[in-house]
Amino acid sequence: MTDTRREFDQVAGLYLPIGVAVVVVIVALVVVMALRYRVRDGEQEPGDDGPGGRRRPSRIADAPRAEALYAAVLVCIAALLVWRTFSTEAREDHPRAAATATIDVTAARWHWRFDYRGTGVTQLGGDRTPPTLVVPAAQPVRFTLVSIDVIHAFWIPARRFKRDANPGASSSFELIFPTTGFWRDGGECSEFCGLRHAQMRFDVDVRTPAAYAAWLRQRRAAAGAVGAAGAAG
Amino acid sequence: MSATAPVARPPRPRTPGGLVGTLASTDHKVVGAGIFVTAFGFFLAAGVLALLMRSELAQPGLQVVSEEGYNQLFTIHGSTMFYLFATPIALAAGIYLVPLQIGAARVAWPRLALAGWWLTIMGGLSMWSGFLTQQGAADVGWYAYPPLSDMPNSPTIGTDYWIFGVILAAVAGMLLAASVLATIVKLRAPGMTMLRLPVFAWTQVVSCLMVLTAFPALIVAMALLFAQRQLGGVLTTPEGPIAYQHLFWFFGHPVVYVVFFPFLGAVAEAIATFSGRRWFGYRPFVISLLLFAALSMSVWGHHMFTTEAVKNTYFSLTSTALLVPAGIEYFDALATMWRGRIRLRVPMLFALGFLVLFLIGGTTGIWIGSPALDYHDTDSYFIVAHFHYTLFGGSVMGLFTAIYLWWPKVTGTMLRERLGRWHFWLTMVGMNLTFFPMFFLGEQGMARRVADYPRSAGWTTLNTLSTIGSGVIALSLLVFLLNVAVSLTRRVPAGPDPWGGHSLEWATSSPPPPHNFDALPPVRSFAPLLDRREAEQDRGDARGAVA
Ligand code: HEM
Ligand SMILES: [Cu+2]
Ligand SMILES: [Cu+2]
Repeated sequence: MTDTRREFDQVAGLYLPIGVAVVVVIVALVVVMALRYRVRDGEQEPGDDGPGGRRRPSRIADAPRAEALYAAVLVCIAALLVWRTFSTEAREDHPRAAATATIDVTAARWHWRFDYRGTGVTQLGGDRTPPTLVVPAAQPVRFTLVSIDVIHAFWIPARRFKRDANPGASSSFELIFPTTGFWRDGGECSEFCGLRHAQMRFDVDVRTPAAYAAWLRQRRAAAGAVGAAGAAG
Repeated sequence: MSATAPVARPPRPRTPGGLVGTLASTDHKVVGAGIFVTAFGFFLAAGVLALLMRSELAQPGLQVVSEEGYNQLFTIHGSTMFYLFATPIALAAGIYLVPLQIGAARVAWPRLALAGWWLTIMGGLSMWSGFLTQQGAADVGWYAYPPLSDMPNSPTIGTDYWIFGVILAAVAGMLLAASVLATIVKLRAPGMTMLRLPVFAWTQVVSCLMVLTAFPALIVAMALLFAQRQLGGVLTTPEGPIAYQHLFWFFGHPVVYVVFFPFLGAVAEAIATFSGRRWFGYRPFVISLLLFAALSMSVWGHHMFTTEAVKNTYFSLTSTALLVPAGIEYFDALATMWRGRIRLRVPMLFALGFLVLFLIGGTTGIWIGSPALDYHDTDSYFIVAHFHYTLFGGSVMGLFTAIYLWWPKVTGTMLRERLGRWHFWLTMVGMNLTFFPMFFLGEQGMARRVADYPRSAGWTTLNTLSTIGSGVIALSLLVFLLNVAVSLTRRVPAGPDPWGGHSLEWATSSPPPPHNFDALPPVRSFAPLLDRREAEQDRGDARGAVA
């Protein structure tokens, strides 16, 4: 089972230092070149502003060997990055663990609905209150995701993961939530879906497996009671 | 002027003056400048929309516009910037400059170019006329994914006007690209082989090739979208929306290179000129440009990593490979400055700014080329920051490099150095202040295309900083406009070659006569004027040695 946040941090742990180093080195080179080889005030007599003034610029116009060597280094860097990305990708796209819970997520303008498969429990928000996604900690949770209107995207920033919710085609993935906690607005829609896109959020509530099981039992009982009341009425 | 060959002077066309004359002119300089000014006007207009968006986002809550209004703002801002500003202005530079750089008297198919100008204007009118309708302009984002952009979800007429506008602008781009490309293929001066094309002309070649291969996909996508809206049954779920995304991004990724390469070319010309050195590694540069263009036609799926509809590893591979040609470009730029005689004039400042800012856009591009990282950052403010570093840091900085470099040639007068420096430094400060905070906002979970965000999220400070930065950018543009006004009213004559240029456009008067050249120097490399200068230098040295 892969922890998407750990995967993100690990890949970032390679990409970020390389990226920062590249930016720092090249910016430094640009600045150093510009200052080192600039025409200084004293050198710049009237009429001397054009090329061919006192100090002659170099006429070397290429360095095929050096450039080929440099290109080879670039290829190696690209290969390193691609290799790192691919090894993560293999883990993220083919989850192997057996999930303890399956939650069917339905996106609709501009709401989320979470159905806990096989339990009859459904989490829905109110008119102005977002729903809460309740999940067990430290256990793989399987999600299926579908939209009933336009394209949305299911994003939990703390998990460093998002997936598009397409109309008419469901997609599935697994997430693991290592620590318990409550995240207000911990999930959001990240694919523009019209008027209330900015309000299409949900809270994330990660509980210990025991607390989660208790919550589920209680919700089932409530659902059963509602069902029974409906049948009686 | 000993070694010059006379050029046959074509009969001077008799054209009416005034606005009609301008709008009917077949002189590539009139058409090129006309498109340029039109596109720059669209840049300012879309910039005003950006200021409105930034003022809305300065604080949580809705203060300036409604949600409907905000959605129209980013849609028309993004669409205008791509379809009506960046693409036409990049190609307009080609229409104006390419004949001068290759020693031609005109463009091939000048009427196509003229039609390109007209269609750009009409496309712009169509797209913006949505604001005059009751329900407002299109509000579906610049890539207008169905089913959101389908009739039931977006029934506004503004969206249909937007589709017409995009199609007109796309056709305009293809006409302009065809004209520039045909000019380069057919009208090069004697001695100007393909491998003696100036660097800027080469960047135009690759851009035009990409326009001609990528833009048809956009036109098809728009036509299908229009048919779906009017008739239905075309882009039905679940496959239709995915097919649309493929078509759109087959255009949508290459277009960012279309609006990048010509400005890279301008930056290369500026760096070479102001270093007093030939552009370093010309042949590897040309090869890497072609590789760059080919690769960038095969990366579009990186916009779809979270759809599950593409092979993520393949598109991650091609996207990451882009760092090779990009790295070669940086090598050549730095090597050109190495042991040069660098004059830090305003065009050179903007060229250096381009190198620095585009670098940030490029490295963050490699970052999101990794699906594991993109799963988090896509459709967040991280992306907004990334693509503005490439589009503003790259294209717009390169555009100002081009403007400061070629302004004397086009107008015959100089822009002011001091105002130019103010413009440059304000741009650098404003640009980074606006867009750098967005990287953190995205990492922290702020989605793009939101008119509002919760106060509890803790994003207020970064957003306020970003809004202040956009004000600094606006100020920098005012300084630029002031510079233009001063330059045009208190003229300082430029002369044919104020900078010590390398390519043929500096061998004729400023502005050039209608037929461009009275005489051409011999062309033995991609920098014929530098050749001549170096030969004179050598002769001077030889004389000195004899004496
Ligand atoms: C002049 C300074 C600029 C500022 C302050 C600015 C600001 C913004 C802002 C605030 C957004 C909306 C973000 C959102 O809500 O998702 C945006 C979107 C966008 N901008 Fe800019 N921008 C500027 C220049 C440019 C330039 C020069 C280009 C292209 C050449 C450009 C292309 C875009 C595009 C394509 C979008 C996306 C629109 C969409 O989501 O549909 N911008 N910009
Ligand atoms: Cu949404
Ligand atoms: Cu792309």
